Amino acid sequence: MLAYLNNLAVLISINAILAVTLNFVLGYAGIFSLAHAVFFGVGAYTSALVAMKLGGGFLLSTAAAMAASALISLALALPALRVRGEYFVAASLGLQMLALTVFSEWKVVTGGIGGISNIPPARFPGFEISSPAQYLVLALGCLALVMLVVALLVRSSFGRSLKAIRDDETAASAFGKNVAVIKTIAVAVSSALAAVAGSLYAFYLSFVNVESFTLDTSVYLMAMVIIGGTATLVGPVVGAVLILLLPAALSYLPGLPQTEVGSIQQIVYGLAMVLLMIFRPGGLWGFRDQSRGDR
Amino acid sequence: MLLLQLLINGLQLGAIYALTAVGFALIFGSTKVFHVAHGAAFTLAGYLFWWSINAQEWHWAVGLALAVAVVVAFGLFMERFIYRPIQRHEGAFFTVFVAAFGMQVIVQNLVGMVFGRGFETVTVSLSRAAEIAPGLFVAPIAGIAIVVAIVFFIGLNLFLLHTHVGTGLRALADNPDLVRVFGLEPTRLAQVAFGLGSALVVPAAALTAMSQGINPGIGAHIMLISLAATIVGGIGSLKGAAYGGFLLGLAESLAVWKLDPQWSEAVTFVILFVFIIFRPAGFLGRAQGAK
Repeated sequence: MLAYLNNLAVLISINAILAVTLNFVLGYAGIFSLAHAVFFGVGAYTSALVAMKLGGGFLLSTAAAMAASALISLALALPALRVRGEYFVAASLGLQMLALTVFSEWKVVTGGIGGISNIPPARFPGFEISSPAQYLVLALGCLALVMLVVALLVRSSFGRSLKAIRDDETAASAFGKNVAVIKTIAVAVSSALAAVAGSLYAFYLSFVNVESFTLDTSVYLMAMVIIGGTATLVGPVVGAVLILLLPAALSYLPGLPQTEVGSIQQIVYGLAMVLLMIFRPGGLWGFRDQSRGDR
Repeated sequence: MLLLQLLINGLQLGAIYALTAVGFALIFGSTKVFHVAHGAAFTLAGYLFWWSINAQEWHWAVGLALAVAVVVAFGLFMERFIYRPIQRHEGAFFTVFVAAFGMQVIVQNLVGMVFGRGFETVTVSLSRAAEIAPGLFVAPIAGIAIVVAIVFFIGLNLFLLHTHVGTGLRALADNPDLVRVFGLEPTRLAQVAFGLGSALVVPAAALTAMSQGINPGIGAHIMLISLAATIVGGIGSLKGAAYGGFLLGLAESLAVWKLDPQWSEAVTFVILFVFIIFRPAGFLGRAQGAK
C-alpha cells in the first residue's frame, strides 16, 4: 500500500511539472499547444540515451534533455509566431502526430515501439538514487524548483510582457515589445522545463517507450491545466492530482468492470471539460483566484 | 502500375476526407464555431451504419437513415446545449475548443464501451476488389466514393446558391449582425449549418466502414484530417476544404510509393505544417491567418 502511494505520488509530481509548464505557455502566453507530450518525450529519450550511452548522471542527462527539448521547441514556436487560435492548435496537433511517428519509427534512437529499457538509476556526484522514496523526494524537489522558476518568470517584466501579448498582441507590439522573441523564449522555457519531467520519468521507470507520449497524454495534460485553472500557479497541480487520483478512486468503486475503468475515466475527464467550459471556464482553482484578475 | 493503384486509392481516401472536411468547413464558415466534435459525429455514423447492417441485418438504406438521424441530432444538440451557452457568456475560441474536445473524448469512449474497441468492417460485395489490369486492384467502392463526393458537393453548392436558406447561410458567414437586421434568425441558420454539416459525415463514415474499417479512435483521426484539409484549403472556403481533402488523401496514399506505410500520416502533417508556416490563408482562403 505504501509502495503504491509512493508510486502514485511520484507520477503526480511528474505530471504536475508537465501541467505547470504547459500552463506557462497556455495560461500566460495564450499559446494553446496540444504537443506538450512531445517535449516530455524528447526529454525522456534524450535523458535515457545520455545516461546509457555516455554514462551521464541525473544532472548532466537532465541538462542535455532540456537543451534538446528547447531546440526542438523551435518547431512549435515557428507556427506560434505566424498564426494564432485555431490555426495554431492545428499546427501543434500536426507536430504531435509527426513526433509520434518519429518516436515509433526512428528505431535506432528510440527503440521503436519496444522503447528503451534498463536505464541506469539516477546518479548524483557522491550518491545514487534508487529507492522509490528517494525518487519521491527528487520528484518533489524538481516540482518545487519548476514552480519557483515559473512563479518568478510570471512575476518578472518578462511575465507581464507575455500576458500583454496574450491579451492583445497588436497593442503589445505597439508598446515596443518584441513579440517574436518573447514568444520563442516562452515556448523554449516551457519545453525545457517539461523535459525535466521526461528525465525524471525515464530514470524512475528505467524504461521509456512511445506509449507515454501520445496525443492522449497531451490531452490529459491539457485537461489537468483546464480543470485545475489556467494562469494560476497552483491550479495545474490541483488538476494533476485530481486526474491521477481519479483512476485510483474508480478502481476502488465496487461493481465497475475492470476492463471499462479506462473508458469511464476518460468519459469523466471529457464530461468535466465540457461542464467546466459551460459553467466555469476559469477552472476549479481559477474561480477562487478571480479577484486577482488573471484569467 | 503501383503508382496508378496508389492514385486510385488516394482519390477514394480523398473523397472521404473531402466530405468530412466540407461539413466541418460549412459549420466553421457560417457559425465560426470550431466544431472539433465533428470527428465524434463521424464515429457515431460509422458505428450506427455498421451495427444496423452487421448486427441487425437491416437494409443499408435503413442504416444510412438511422445514421443521418442520430448525427443530425448530435450536431443540433452540440449547437444548442454546448456551443450556444458558452458563446452567450464568453466567445473565446479556446473555451469552445475545449468543450468540443471533451465531447469527442466522451463519444469515443462511449462507443468503445457499447460497440467494442476492435476494428469493424461492413463487408459488402462492393468493397471486393477485382483485378482490372495486371497488378491493379479496384473495388467498385472507389468509384462510388468519388461519385458520391462530387454529387454531394454539387448538391450543396446548388443549395447554397439557389435557396433562401442557402443564401442566409452565406450571409451568416459574411456578417451575422446584418443577417439579424434583415429579419433572419442567426440561431436558426446556425442550426441548419450544424444539421447539414453533420449529415455530410454519414456518406464518408459509411464508405470508410465499407472500405478501411472503423474503430472508436477514428473520430480523432478524422477530426485531424478535417482540420488539416480546412486549413490547407483555406478557412472560409468550402471548395478549398474539398480540394484540401482530396490533396491530403492523395498525399497520404502516394507517400507509400517512396516511404514505409507508417510514415504516410506524417506526410499529411508535414503538408499542414508547411501551409501554416508559409501560407496560413490556404490556397483558396480569404481569412487571414495572423490575426
